[in-house]
Amino acid sequence: MEKIKTIIIEDEAPARELLRHMLKDRAEIDIICECSDGFCGLKEIKENKPDLIFLDIQMPKLTGFELIEVLDERPQVIFTTAFDQYAIKAFELNAIDYLLKPFSKNRLDEALNKAIERISKKETRANPIDLLIAHKPEEEGPITRIVIRKGSGIKIIQLANISYIGAEDDYVMIYYNEGKALKQQTMKYYEDNLPSSSFLRVHRSYIVNLEKITRLEPYSKDNYVAVLNTGEKIPVSRTGYKTLREKLSF
Amino acid sequence: MKHPIISKASRITIWWLAWAVLAVGQSLLFYFVYNIPLVLALADGFVSMTIMGIIGIFIWFPLTALRSPGKVDIAVIVNFFVIGVLIVYIWITATRLAVGAFFTDKNDYGDLWSNTITYRIAAGVLLYGVVILTYSLLLSGVRLAEKASRQAQLEAMVKESELKLLRTQLNPHFLFNSLNSISSLTVSDPPKAREMIVKLSEFMRYSLSRKNEQPVILKQELENARLYLDIEKIRFSERLVFSEEISERCMNAMLPAMLLQPLFENAIKHGVYESTGQIIIKTTAVYESGNVILTVFNTMDSGVISGKKGTGTGLSNVAKRMELYYGNESYLRARQTEDSFTVTLTFPYKREDNK
Repeated sequence: MEKIKTIIIEDEAPARELLRHMLKDRAEIDIICECSDGFCGLKEIKENKPDLIFLDIQMPKLTGFELIEVLDERPQVIFTTAFDQYAIKAFELNAIDYLLKPFSKNRLDEALNKAIERISKKETRANPIDLLIAHKPEEEGPITRIVIRKGSGIKIIQLANISYIGAEDDYVMIYYNEGKALKQQTMKYYEDNLPSSSFLRVHRSYIVNLEKITRLEPYSKDNYVAVLNTGEKIPVSRTGYKTLREKLSF
Repeated sequence: MKHPIISKASRITIWWLAWAVLAVGQSLLFYFVYNIPLVLALADGFVSMTIMGIIGIFIWFPLTALRSPGKVDIAVIVNFFVIGVLIVYIWITATRLAVGAFFTDKNDYGDLWSNTITYRIAAGVLLYGVVILTYSLLLSGVRLAEKASRQAQLEAMVKESELKLLRTQLNPHFLFNSLNSISSLTVSDPPKAREMIVKLSEFMRYSLSRKNEQPVILKQELENARLYLDIEKIRFSERLVFSEEISERCMNAMLPAMLLQPLFENAIKHGVYESTGQIIIKTTAVYESGNVILTVFNTMDSGVISGKKGTGTGLSNVAKRMELYYGNESYLRARQTEDSFTVTLTFPYKREDNK
């Protein structure tokens, strides 16, 4: 039987170690790598195309859910977490199983058997919606809305609902009125294509919706933050501050 | 409200025994003082006291309707007076009709009646007063018992909310994640696993056994914080670094137990949970003109400072508990920069011996 390529994505070292130990006697499982954060996981999934991932939900920077939602081709997923309140969302994402830490070897084997069954049936990993988004050519010219995946469906975010956009590795995180979502895109793309009348790059890592700014506050020496109507504070660089002054003419 | 006499068999017995004693007393009085034949005196005594006994039981209902607790005004007094007059009148009339049945000679009866009428009026007023007094005593007893049970209920409620508070304080995810780490250590480093189980137990015991308002010395509180941070340290290993710098004098300062716990939890939650790099937590305490100035400092991942994830409730609970314990001489200050968070507590230096 072909080995199952597996990646463990988990921010706590002891938890990774334990999982590796528990998988030792399952010869069919081939752990190709381990990641201690979501962005590492994202990169490894893209590069190595694993069959199965063990995914923690609460991780710094990028949660397990955000990671799954940005993937075009999803491997089979077993969530591992100490939180019991995310189970419904996990199954909406078509996860194989949801293991509550600490879990027993029996419980893990049960999840693995389900995974093996699904993988051997070669169930299609990407649903049609994913493919639709994945193959949609990026349009040039002004962006009027942003399409993201949410759960098993898609979501359309109107520009007016976006608060700001932050750079995250090779991705951007879109912060909007109902939460945040990762997109595989560059800051440059958004800087060039979002309407310049309402969006401005105020910092190397941030593009902000001008309509959401309620005030500017000095932060440390020479530095400012833009305070949004949500209470969030966005760092503003020196050049960002200059263009912001011109834009808002004060 | 239940009737204080007829709701209990023992009270009914006492009630009628008391009336029997009064009946015998009145019979003897009539026999010796008014020279009335013994049989007639006894008949008169028992009949009249039975009637008063029955009236006495029923009088409860108008009385409870009239009595407003703890308030006596003219209207109440007038009501009591009117009821009193009515009752004495009813009693005497009813007795006259009932006792009349025992007499064959109408003259004897007329004599008996005219001789004793003054006594009867006085006795009626007296008995009415005694009945009312008895009821008001029983009533205040009932009220006291009710108050006690209400108090007990209130205490139970407070205790329950305290438990609820504790449950939310003792973060279940911390517990599950720690158990998972220990599970991992049982494979890689069994002695360390045992050590961690002891630490976790000690930490749990400290946080569960203490009443919220019971004060401890800072040294104890910091020992507990160290247990907590040691446990988190296994989970996050090199991602978490902590240190403390406490002046010797401050170690004996009194503070409410578990006061500092939310500060360390915040540091972990907003520092370590949100960062892939290393986070430093530093605790310092100095003595300054009668006050202890205690600081918990932690580094944070720089970037957007979220206004949504409030440390607000945790910090305001700490401030509230300080105010309860120290009065308004204490204060809490929180300061946030791009890459750090500092909470400073200032409170009066109290030692264990001068409580």
